[in-house]
Amino acid sequence: MKKLLFPILALTSGSLFAQETDTITQQTDSVYVPEKTELRVYGGFESNVQWYLNDKERNLQHPEDPLRSNNYYLLNYNYGRWTGGMQLEVYEKNALLNYNPGFKGGGLGIYYLNYKSDRIDATIGHFYEQFGSGLLLRAWEDRALGINTALRGARIIFRPSDNIRLTALYGRQRTGFNVAHGDIYGFDSDFSLSSLLGFETSDLSFGASYVGRYEKIDMPDPPVNELTNTFAGRISFSHNSFYASGEYNYKQKDVLLNALNTLNYNFIKPGSALLLNFGYTKEGLGIDLTLRRMENMGFLSERTPTSVGDNISTSLNFNDKIINFTPALTKQHHSNLANIYVYQAQSRVSFVDPTIMMSGETGGQIDVFYDFAKGTTLGGKYGTKIALNASSWYNLPGQYRFNPSEYDTNFFGVGKNYFTDVNAEIKKRLSESWLTAFYYIRQYYNKEWLQGGEAVKTHIVTAEATYNFSPSKSIRFEGEHMFADADFKNWAGGTVELNLNDKYSIYVWDIVNYGNDDKNRRVHYYNFGGAYRIGATRVAMNYGRQRGGLVCVGGVCRFVPESTGFSLSVSTAF
Amino acid sequence: MKRIFLLFLLVSAATYAQKEMPNVSLKSDGNKTFNVKNDFAKKDKIYVFTFWATWCVPCINELDAINEHYADWSKEIDMEVVAVSIDDTRTQKRVKPLLNGKKWPYTILLDTNQDLKRALGIANVPYTVVVKNKKVVYVHNGYSQGAEKELYNKLKQL
Repeated sequence: MKKLLFPILALTSGSLFAQETDTITQQTDSVYVPEKTELRVYGGFESNVQWYLNDKERNLQHPEDPLRSNNYYLLNYNYGRWTGGMQLEVYEKNALLNYNPGFKGGGLGIYYLNYKSDRIDATIGHFYEQFGSGLLLRAWEDRALGINTALRGARIIFRPSDNIRLTALYGRQRTGFNVAHGDIYGFDSDFSLSSLLGFETSDLSFGASYVGRYEKIDMPDPPVNELTNTFAGRISFSHNSFYASGEYNYKQKDVLLNALNTLNYNFIKPGSALLLNFGYTKEGLGIDLTLRRMENMGFLSERTPTSVGDNISTSLNFNDKIINFTPALTKQHHSNLANIYVYQAQSRVSFVDPTIMMSGETGGQIDVFYDFAKGTTLGGKYGTKIALNASSWYNLPGQYRFNPSEYDTNFFGVGKNYFTDVNAEIKKRLSESWLTAFYYIRQYYNKEWLQGGEAVKTHIVTAEATYNFSPSKSIRFEGEHMFADADFKNWAGGTVELNLNDKYSIYVWDIVNYGNDDKNRRVHYYNFGGAYRIGATRVAMNYGRQRGGLVCVGGVCRFVPESTGFSLSVSTAF
Repeated sequence: MKRIFLLFLLVSAATYAQKEMPNVSLKSDGNKTFNVKNDFAKKDKIYVFTFWATWCVPCINELDAINEHYADWSKEIDMEVVAVSIDDTRTQKRVKPLLNGKKWPYTILLDTNQDLKRALGIANVPYTVVVKNKKVVYVHNGYSQGAEKELYNKLKQL
């Protein structure tokens, strides 16, 4: 490790300049840049520190190693067409609570070397990639979720013309500081026909991809191919204000998991996913509809998830060794209470018990954005913006049998409702100094099927007002209430945020589960903190109570346990 | 390990700041390809790259706030706002209806694989990068109500 780092360190301190290698064709009014290739060093640093404390009221003991931190240091060197880089990661003393246990200690998480010209983009080492909408392959990083599924191997992207892109790759997926056993082979193609057909106001493109996962099966004559092949085709079209796209994915038959996350060699099925999107937009109006049906679309680097030793969690709980990306297609709300019941997409076959048997999900989401223009009755002096959104997701309809496990689904129709969310948002500026917003959310969360527990129906109302003292000094108030008919019942909450200028802000918020049937659980979850921003740097500090549950970013969730304590996060780029 | 990490930090503090935009090509909402280094390079024109996402409330507030003044600012300064969406495929379809619903006149780029975000070392959005004559001349992390005025003051000085 050290051997590798030192030559790189030596490079950092020297600044290298070389001469005239690249000639860039310039547009006539473009800037003339002296034709000199210089060494460019860039990257970023991020640190998230937590100090966990005991909390008597909630009867919480801080974990072993109360002071924990996740640190990421990304460093890249670019010289002409060559770029090399790495990400150093340190988890000391241990990673934050409930992160993938593979993130332990420190080391080189990512390293790569890349060559890029107008036509060729070639990488060896780690790389991030996504084919189409990611339903077959997405290698990505999300630090807040503790996801890093970069592929380690080689990738080449070839652009024979501006309208064609071909990608071929091979790699193994990163897991912790290692890689998974499964070999991933991928090929993707993207064709844009607009310029070929001479379209001016229209766009037509299509693509096809292949992803194969090879993992040896330790038995003579395995019932399925050791190499699982998946295929996808996609098309996208837009004409003036209208657009539409579709994608179909197919996964060859493979062995499924039983309730204990071990392979059931008598339960073998293929998988498929269909994604359709339609929209109409013009100035002041936007409508978007997405429909998706996924059946048995769990796709893992290793067929059997790794148990982490506590007899409950496996690598699946940490979104680890997952090849594809199947996010929940629902609106991501920003109010605290609207994030208590969040939906996670059900792409996998999951037979929990003889009453709860899931083979995937089907459903859709619609969004409407509208702007009432300034000077109209509803628009008033400053205009009024509204956003409506609804989504509903269901199990696939069909016949299910628990033992021996079997299912047969219908393509159309819906099964048991997992989740429904209908919401409206109105934003209105009242004067130069007052900006207000109102949100109403209606949710149904089938906790019984999704997590175990009681299904719950909620109404959430939120009102928000921002007052500007001066152009850059403002205060924001937010009040929210959730009416829930089951589970933890009612909640109320409030936030006050003060922005002193573009550098400093402080906030305090509190939510209280005052309606809980269990009196001991009617506790306040208070938080206060502040942030300082300058240039590319942001420093934020917080003290408060973390509610246990799912923390979701972009439709992918991570379970966090209850905790109380201080947190500090620092990020910067250079 | 920890020591190596600290050493790295010190070393990078000593290296000079990034000067040029990275050589990354992105698709626009109309499916046209733009190279962020070479296609935003008109002499003395100021390009304001604002990184945002449909699920990021402060980002949308910032772009709404800039939009209220955009016509006036553009008259005074030769400038263009390039709104780079870091939405992944989960929310990317919402970009187009949202920007039309909000009547945003900006050039929209889609950084679906987050290549540009990574190349600029950006940890979270909103994040603003101001480019003039192919060089990064100003960056700002985050947005709070009213910060667009300070951005405007900064742009006037450039």
